[in-house]
Amino acid sequence: MGKFSYVLKNTILNMRRSPLLVFATIIAVLVSSFLVFTTLSARSIVQNNTVRWQSGVHVVVFLDDRVTTSAHKQLQESLESYPEVRLVDYFSKSEAKDEFQVLFKDQPELLAEVDFEILPSSLRINLNNPSDYTLIIERLEGNPAVKEIRSSGEAIERLLSLTDTLVISASAFALLIGFAAFILIINTLRLAAYSKRKEIKIMRLLGASSTYIRLPFTLEAVVESLIGTSIAVGFGWAVIEYSKNSVVAESIFDITIADDYLIFLTLSLLLFSLVFGLFASFVGIRKALND
Amino acid sequence: MINLKNVSLVFQGGSVAISNVSAKVKDGEFVYLVGHSGSGKSSFLKLLYKEYLATKGEIEVANIDVTKLPKWKIPLLRRKIGIVTQEPQLLDNRNTFENISFALEIMGSLPEEIDTKTNTLIDLVELNECAYKYPGQLSGGEQTRVSIARALANNPVVLLCDEPTGNLDPELSIQIISLLEKINRAGTTVVMATHDSSIVNRRKKRIIELKDGKIIRDQLNGSYVVR
Ligand SMILES: Nc1ncnc2c1ncn2[C@@H]1O[C@H](COP(=O)(O)OP(=O)(O)O)[C@@H](O)[C@H]1O
Ligand SMILES: [Mg+2]
Repeated sequence: MGKFSYVLKNTILNMRRSPLLVFATIIAVLVSSFLVFTTLSARSIVQNNTVRWQSGVHVVVFLDDRVTTSAHKQLQESLESYPEVRLVDYFSKSEAKDEFQVLFKDQPELLAEVDFEILPSSLRINLNNPSDYTLIIERLEGNPAVKEIRSSGEAIERLLSLTDTLVISASAFALLIGFAAFILIINTLRLAAYSKRKEIKIMRLLGASSTYIRLPFTLEAVVESLIGTSIAVGFGWAVIEYSKNSVVAESIFDITIADDYLIFLTLSLLLFSLVFGLFASFVGIRKALND
Repeated sequence: MINLKNVSLVFQGGSVAISNVSAKVKDGEFVYLVGHSGSGKSSFLKLLYKEYLATKGEIEVANIDVTKLPKWKIPLLRRKIGIVTQEPQLLDNRNTFENISFALEIMGSLPEEIDTKTNTLIDLVELNECAYKYPGQLSGGEQTRVSIARALANNPVVLLCDEPTGNLDPELSIQIISLLEKINRAGTTVVMATHDSSIVNRRKKRIIELKDGKIIRDQLNGSYVVR
């Protein structure tokens, strides 16, 4: 107990000796952790959205109402025979009307003005592999029964590659800043060990174990690292909560992210930050105490 | 208590500090380790608490095989040894009381225990007047006594002192010697290195004299003649 209070007291003393360096270290860890937390969350959100896309409708073929319904049926059958197609759903004009009414139920003025006759019937296609949407578009090129083909595939692919780029570049930055934090911790410990070199020498003569001598330094690094990450994760949660309720979220994107995933991310980051602190202090003390 | 068998210490550059030394010190003995500057006194003491590693030979201190002791167990050895270095090595930002209690603090003693023990030690080294003075306000002799009190804090079975009177005038030196003899009478084995012949010869104690790292004299009630 007495030993522990010595360690605690010295950890605080060490940190108060160079407050600016401690502050810089915490900020570096914070920024680094925040980048990792937010980009991984963002990726999870995008994945959630694309997962829904991937299990849903990949291509919508709007049908030309001037051709006969038997031509529509024929088109559906030929589509169903393609190997890349899993399912083709016929969506009639009246179903289109129902859907429109549900989608725009908040805008009665619009509903009152729309001529539902212009809403075409359509074929909604589910593919085995969503990225095959281009094949379908090619196959239906010039088909008289087809009025228009729509697929969100391209947009989704762009979005996925964008988030991947985002994650990669943010990770690179996080790594860079993490490295800066590492250097900062090593230097903080070096300074602390240097200013305490006499004390350490005496402790050794008196028979203090090297673990015990190291403990305040280790604790300092771990505390700095954990404080930085905790603040970052706190910010991250706040940003996600804010986005969930924002207008942008409602209109374009569905901000759904599993709490389980966020908790997993939080705990992983804290664990990583703990290991990071331990490792940095290990290296720092080795350099500072050269033993 | 202390047993050296054919111990040598050769430094990396090839300079020989201790050369094939064998010696025994019994429990409760008081030994002066004498010799010119550079004769190997400090090296001898440092070998005992494994600050230096013997190149050859066997060393035993307080029933611990020092030569075979792994590095991580060195603290266990040092807890049985009180070490007084030539420079008192006090912490400037701590007063006398705190410098002494530091030894107890880092060993995890309880606060009440630290208080009583520190006060007892301050009595022993007669520093009651200086308990709340900082090292900068203490004389050389007082600093040495703080260092001795600190070395005694964890009840060592042996006290190793490297020229504790090195920087002191004769009168103060005698005070330190008297203190060490008092500590010795209480049961602690004492080995004190010195090159000061004037003190040693009057005390009628065992003398081990080193020259170029070799023992050239080992006498009970010995004398040390500077040649
Ligand atoms: N760390 C060291 N590295 C190299 N040589 C040393 C070291 N320490 C002591 N010596 C050499 O060993 C010899 C004995 O030194 P030392 O034990 O300090 O003698 P004393 O304490 O009697 O003055 C000297 O020649 C000294 O130069
Ligand atoms: Mg010496």
